[in-house]
This record gives sequence, C-alpha cells and structure tokens, in this order.
Amino acid sequence: MNSPFALLSLIVILPFLGMLFVFTAKDDDLSKGRNSFNVCVFTILANITLIWRVFMVINERSHKLQLKEHFDWLTIPDINIVFGVDTFSLLLILTIHLGVLIGLMGVWRNTFKQKSLMVFTLLFLSMSTGFFVSADIFSFYIFFEAMLLPVFLIIGMFGEVKKQDLIYRYFLYNFIGALLLFSAIMLIYHKYGNTLLADVGRLTLKGNLRNYIWVAIFLSFISRIPIWPFHYWISSINVSIRNPLAFIITALMPLTAIYGFIRFLPTSFSSDIDIYLIWMNIIGVITMLFIALIGFINRDAQYKIFSYLTVYYITYLLGVFSNQSIIRYNIGYSLFGFIVIISALEVLSSYIYHKEIEHGSSSQGFLCRARRLSLSYSFMVIAAIGLPFSAVFVNNYLILSNLLGTNIYIGMLLIFSVFISGIGLLQELFRLKQDDPVCRLSKTDDISLPMFILMIFVIFMLIMSFIRPLWFVINE
Amino acid sequence: MQNLLMLLPEISLISYFPVAFIVNRYRDNKTAKTFFTLSRFFLLISILFTVIFYNKSVIPNFMLNSQYSSMFKFLTYISAFVWFYLSSKWFLNKNRTSYLFYMVGMGMVLFLGVMISAQNLVVLMSCIPLICILTYTLIKQHWDEDKIKYIARNYLFLSLIFITLLYSGCFIIKYYIGSFNYHLIKEYINSTTSVPVLFYTSLLMILSCILFMMSVAPFHIWFVDVVSVSILPVCGFLTLILPLAYLSCFISLIINVFGNLQNQITPILQSVAFLSLFIGALSANGENNIRRLFAYCSVYNIGFILLGILSFGYGAVLSSFIYTIIYIMAMMGIYTVFLGLKSRGDYRSDLYCISGMSEVKPYISAAFLVFMVSLIGVPPLLGFWGRLSLINTLVVENRWIEALVVMVAIIIIANAFLHIIRKIYFEPLAISFDRTDKAIYICLFINLLLVIITILNPSYLLNDIEAIFGTVIK
Repeated sequence: MNSPFALLSLIVILPFLGMLFVFTAKDDDLSKGRNSFNVCVFTILANITLIWRVFMVINERSHKLQLKEHFDWLTIPDINIVFGVDTFSLLLILTIHLGVLIGLMGVWRNTFKQKSLMVFTLLFLSMSTGFFVSADIFSFYIFFEAMLLPVFLIIGMFGEVKKQDLIYRYFLYNFIGALLLFSAIMLIYHKYGNTLLADVGRLTLKGNLRNYIWVAIFLSFISRIPIWPFHYWISSINVSIRNPLAFIITALMPLTAIYGFIRFLPTSFSSDIDIYLIWMNIIGVITMLFIALIGFINRDAQYKIFSYLTVYYITYLLGVFSNQSIIRYNIGYSLFGFIVIISALEVLSSYIYHKEIEHGSSSQGFLCRARRLSLSYSFMVIAAIGLPFSAVFVNNYLILSNLLGTNIYIGMLLIFSVFISGIGLLQELFRLKQDDPVCRLSKTDDISLPMFILMIFVIFMLIMSFIRPLWFVINE
Repeated sequence: MQNLLMLLPEISLISYFPVAFIVNRYRDNKTAKTFFTLSRFFLLISILFTVIFYNKSVIPNFMLNSQYSSMFKFLTYISAFVWFYLSSKWFLNKNRTSYLFYMVGMGMVLFLGVMISAQNLVVLMSCIPLICILTYTLIKQHWDEDKIKYIARNYLFLSLIFITLLYSGCFIIKYYIGSFNYHLIKEYINSTTSVPVLFYTSLLMILSCILFMMSVAPFHIWFVDVVSVSILPVCGFLTLILPLAYLSCFISLIINVFGNLQNQITPILQSVAFLSLFIGALSANGENNIRRLFAYCSVYNIGFILLGILSFGYGAVLSSFIYTIIYIMAMMGIYTVFLGLKSRGDYRSDLYCISGMSEVKPYISAAFLVFMVSLIGVPPLLGFWGRLSLINTLVVENRWIEALVVMVAIIIIANAFLHIIRKIYFEPLAISFDRTDKAIYICLFINLLLVIITILNPSYLLNDIEAIFGTVIK
C-alpha cells in the first residue's frame, strides 16, 4: 500500500517544522515562554491528528510494513531511504506523542529556558517518529543515533542532574552503542545492500560475521536498557532528573531498544543461541529483582517510579526474546498503556515534589487535601500495578503467563519482581494518603483544572484501551 | 593572444596587486571594505575565467588545467572569497588596516591556484617557498601579541627545513630521470621493476614537505601554535584554504605520479594518518582554548581524509573528497561562529568565555552545535555522509582495523566536543557579548541552508564530481 500525501514523511517533518517555528518564536520576559509552549502543544496535537489519520488508512490486522515511501538519497554509497509502518510501530509513535504531551503539562509553569526545552523536545519527537517509521536499516540507524543529541541536551539543561559527569557518560555510552550499530549495519550493507527491516531477521549470516553483527546489534540496543551491567549509569541519570518532561523523554530511550530488538531479532532462533538466551533471562531477572528491591527500600518516589519502569522494560525485553509473534504484538499494546501511565505518574509525582520544595514541607497526607490530585494519582498507581480496568492488565497477563510457561523459576522470580515494584508504588500512595498534621500543603495546592482534565482524559483512554486496544480507529 | 586569454584567471589575480597598491597610496578614505571590494572583484573574475577555461592550458607540461584541477581551484577561490568577506568584518570591527592581509591573501590564492594545476616539480619548487614566505608574512600580521614573532620565526625555520627536503627530493628525481615532469616520472616508475632506495627516499622527502604544509601529525605543531595566537582572519585562512589546495596537490602526486609505489607509500601514510587521528583527537580533549581545540580537530580531520585516500582507488579518493568538502563547510561555519564571539571589542577564544552562551546568543550557539555535531558525523547532519562514505570505503576494501581505529577516534573527539556543548548549554553565563554583525548571521544561515540542502539531496553535488574524478582516477 502506498502512502497518500506522503503521510509518514509528514508526521516526521511536522515536529521538525514546529521546532523551527519555536526556535524563531519571540519569547521575552512578558510572554515567559508561553509562545513556544503553545506552538509546541499545537504541533504535537496536529501530529497526533495526522497519526490518527494514518491509523485509519492502514490495515490494522496486517503485520507487514505499510504506506511505504521511497527516497533516493545517496549514490556513494548507494542508499535509498524507505519509510513504512505497521500497527505496532504506529502505536508506539502515538504513545511517545501522548507521553510527551502529558510531560508538557508538567512543565507548563516552567519559565527556565522554556524555548530551548520546547525546541529540543520537538527535535526529539521528530527524530523518534523517524525512528519508528524507518523501514530500512540505514534510516533506522540514522534516527536511532539522531535522537541522542536532543535527549543529551534536555537532560543536561533541564534534568537538574547535579553530577554532570553522569550526563557525559550517558551520552558517550549511548554514542558508543550507536557506533556499534553503525558497524553492524555497514557489514550488513556490505553483504546484502540496504536491507529492509522486515528482512533483517531472515538474513542467513554465517561464522564470525554473524557473531560480530549480532553481538554489535545486541550491545547497541541493550546499552539503552537499564539491565546489568548498564543499569548503574542509566539509573543514576533517571533518578536524578527532576524535570518531568526530561524524565519521560529519558524513559522513552529503552523503548527504542525494545523496538530495535523486535525488528532485528532473527525470525527463528537457531539452537546454538539457546544457552545465551537462558543467560539473558537470568541476568534480566536478577537485575529486575535487584532494582525492584532497591525501589521498595528507597524512600524517593522518583526511584520507585524508575524501579517500576525498569522492571517492566526488562519484562518486555524477556517477552521479546521469547520470540513469539503474539507476545510481540501484546508488547505493543501493553507499551501503549505503560508509557501513558508512567508519563502521568511522573508528572503528578514531580508536581508533588516541587510543591514539597516550594513549601519546605513533607507531602505526607497531601492527597487527603487535594481531591483532583488524589483521584488522578490513585488511579495511575492502581493502573500501574496492573489491576483490572487498565490497559496493561490483559497484555501483561499474557506476557507473564508465557514467560512462566517457558521457565517456571524465572517466571516466578519475574512475577515476584513485578509484585515488589508494584508494592513500592503502593507504599508511596499510602504515604501520600496517610494524613499528617505537620503537612503544610493545602487544598489550594491541588492540580490545576486543565491538568485535571488531561488526567481524566488519560484515565478515559486507559479504560477504553482495556475494552478495545485500538478503540480510536474508525475503519473506512 | 589566445594563450594569454587562457591565462586570464591568473592575470586577473595578478592585476589586483597594482590596483590595490595605487588605491592604498592615493585614496584617503580606505577601509577594510575597500580592499575586500577590490579583492572580491578580481577574485570573481578569476573564478569566472577558471570556469570558462576549465580545460585549456597554455603550458600543459608545467600547468595543466583539467576538470579536476579547475574544480579544486574553484573551491579554493570560493572559500577564499567567503573568508575574505568575513575577514573584512574583523578588520572593520578592530579598525585595523587590511591592505597587507588582502595583498598577501590574494598572492597566496594565486600561487595555490598555480600549484593545484602543477604538472611539473619545478612548479611545486617555485610555488611552495613563495607560499611559505607569504604565510610567514600573514602570521606576523599581529598588533598586540609579542609571542607571534617567535612563532612566525619558528614556522619559517621549519618551512626552510621542509623546503630543503622538497628541493633535495626533486633534484634526486631529476638525477635519475633527467626531468621534473610528472608524466616522465610516472613512466619511469612504471617501467622500473625495482625502484632505487634513493629514489624512494626522494619521494618521501617531497611528500613530507606537502604533509608539513597540510599540518599533518607529527608536523602539526606550527599550525596549532599559529592558530592559537594569530589574528582570526589569518587563522581562518590557514585552516580553510591551505589544506584544500595542498590536498589537491597531494592527491595529484600520489595518484598520478607515484601511484605504482602504492605498496611502499601506504605504510608511511597509514602511520601518519593514525598519528593525526589520535594526536588530534586526544590533544583536543585537553585544550582550554577553543581555537587550539579546533586546530587539533583539523589535524584529526586531515588524518581522517588521509586514511581514506590510502587505497588510491576511485571510491577512496571520492570519499575523501566528499569528506573534505563537508569538513571545509563545517569549519567555515565554526570560524564564522568565532567571529560572533566578541566581548568588549575582543574576539574571545578561551573555553571559559563561552559558558552559558546559549542564553544570550541562541542562534550562534545553535549553529556552533550543528557544526560541531556535523564534524563528529552524527546523523542526520552532513558530517554523517562524510563519515559514512569513508567508513564504507574502508569496509568495502576490508580494512577492518582502520575502520575500528576511526570509530575509536570518533569517540575521543566527540568527548572533546561534549565539553564545549556543556559549556555553552549547561553552564551559567560567564561574560557579556557584544552585538553580532548581521553579516555573521547571514553567513551562518547560508551555510546551514547549504548543509540542509546537501544532506537532503546530495546528488546535486555528486553527479558532476563523480564524472570529474572519473577522468582523473582510472
């Protein structure tokens, strides 16, 4: 199926154009960044509308990449860029847009370099959209590396990370990962030309070449997921970030790795890699357990969210390695709800944190006084831990039951980790609900009406997604 | 008469000197703009005639105008034109006389153009010493820095050594062949089964001189010192224009003259390229002076280009050329940014002064960021294409170790640029900046536009260039 009006290019270009508009927008002391904020929100909303339109054009049941767009790019080396989407990638594009939109509500009142924040956010959005619409290995790599710079700048400028060395390392390790992917892609290109993503999994590589390519691809993707031995620097960065939008954008990076694994993994595993898969499962589960327990012990709400985030990302990763197409598609649906919940939870958590700082008071019992916040926060925590009436419930149930069926011990440990990370979030909810007379936060500190409306919309979306994953698609 | 017409590019450049002399002598109200306007006029005429007579030569045994040489001449003249324009802003702001700068600059452009067309070692032997003397004069042009005399003298001394090597090498070749002509030298190498050691040494002497002029490691010290101390117009001229012209001369020599000695030359060039890559990348990490940092970055990039040429093949040379063009565009942008780093009338170059620059100079900071990121080859910027084409060449030729070395060097240089990015974007504002000339913004905008157009549609640049290289490298 060909793309009408080059829709896919349009959804990549629109945030980029928005970025240029924001960059040239006039934002003085009077406007306090409102112009750039408004342009950014408008751009994202316009792009969401376009994405919605794309959903209606594609065949949602087909697993093939659709709406393909070809561009002749380089002659030396001979490279043509191909764009294409399926339901899975389109769902992820929508997810990151919604995640960023929710994150924007968290920085609504921010006046510190608002314009720069909006510029880099839109740049990130454009690059990550490009990443998910890529249908060939070169465009995939280009956007995989290109999204690194805006993320680095957002963390460095707005993350409020005290140790700047951490930001350095974050960029450099990711950059090394991207270079490894580049080397693997050059080797594939040298052997097979610019291969389509759909065909990478079917390549018949042999010997040392095969080993090098898969190790490089594996390392490049795994370096974006907080799994041992990469967990330290990723966790150090994530828990230090105090800006909700910066946190959400950083939290989207492992998503790109999960997606990369899904696209690049061979369609059928040969038996000689079984041993590596077992080790992968063991390392994954131990990391999950370790981070879940730290999240449980740690009093910092940010660490609890990070712990939850990590545990679920590793669950998805292990789900991907189970190499079953049904699981992969479940991961797609689950990730949609997961990212939306994480974004909302982070915005609310950050709101509470900044209120604490503003009043110099503990937030214990804050939810007893702030009704809107209480409703939104409670629902998000309940949805996050996977109780029914949330989007992640059914899909996670399928993923976990499959992993349990593959290896009972690993499955048990995995469920235990998920349980512990959920308990960590409930702990925080309990603390916020337990009234404390010392708390100086009052009813007037409740979330604003626009933010509450957004939260209600998020809740509506999550419930609708539970009833029917693609509820918003009206088939033509 | 017809022969004279073919020399019009050179004649128009020469015509600048008497006119500039007369204007300087008899005109009262002369500013930097006056000499730029004059140089622009003669340079544009020269560019026009270079294009018209792109394949016509008066003395083909000495100077041959081919598509290849004309393309490099064209690029050199265009780069000089842009840099002369930007330099005029510096002279206007500083209220200094630009007469000498433009005189020497035009002289260098003339000799560089002649050197690019060289088909005989006599031309090299004549042009290179003259270019060195002019470079020495340019370096000395400083009003406030005493250290410059020492650096200029140092340069002159080193130049003398390498020119002596060049002359010795050329005369040894003359001793064996009886001629300085490229074609005859090539024929001799092709017909001889074993080249004498002395002949081989002479070849190294000639190449080492050119490598010195290109400021390749380990002959780079003069360049780094000069760039850190000289006035900005001189730094830009030495960084942007000289490497382009010398690279053309170098490619012409190693491909068309010494091509059959590839096996003997490659290990030496490989070592030099590796050294440049690592010395450039590692030294850039330890620098607190931005100009020195970018001087090391130039050394790194020249190493990158040399590594690409090593296989002497069509694809390799073309990739190196693509990389060179991208490098020149990015460095042109970086030097334009340097012109915007003005605080209280001074052009600052210490790393400290750019702290928090993004707060007050968002457009210049963004341009700086784009050019730096392009230099390390991060997609989707233009530098990525350069990196891609060079690494593709290495992979195609199974030069795995070199590809690995390049990757490591990229990571090291990226770390140096991260320091700059951190200063600009993450740290609080350190100093106040003066108002930036609109011309700087216009130049940056045009440069960025070219970068965007080229990355989106590279074929407009490549179609003709491929054909041109095809005629030179068989």
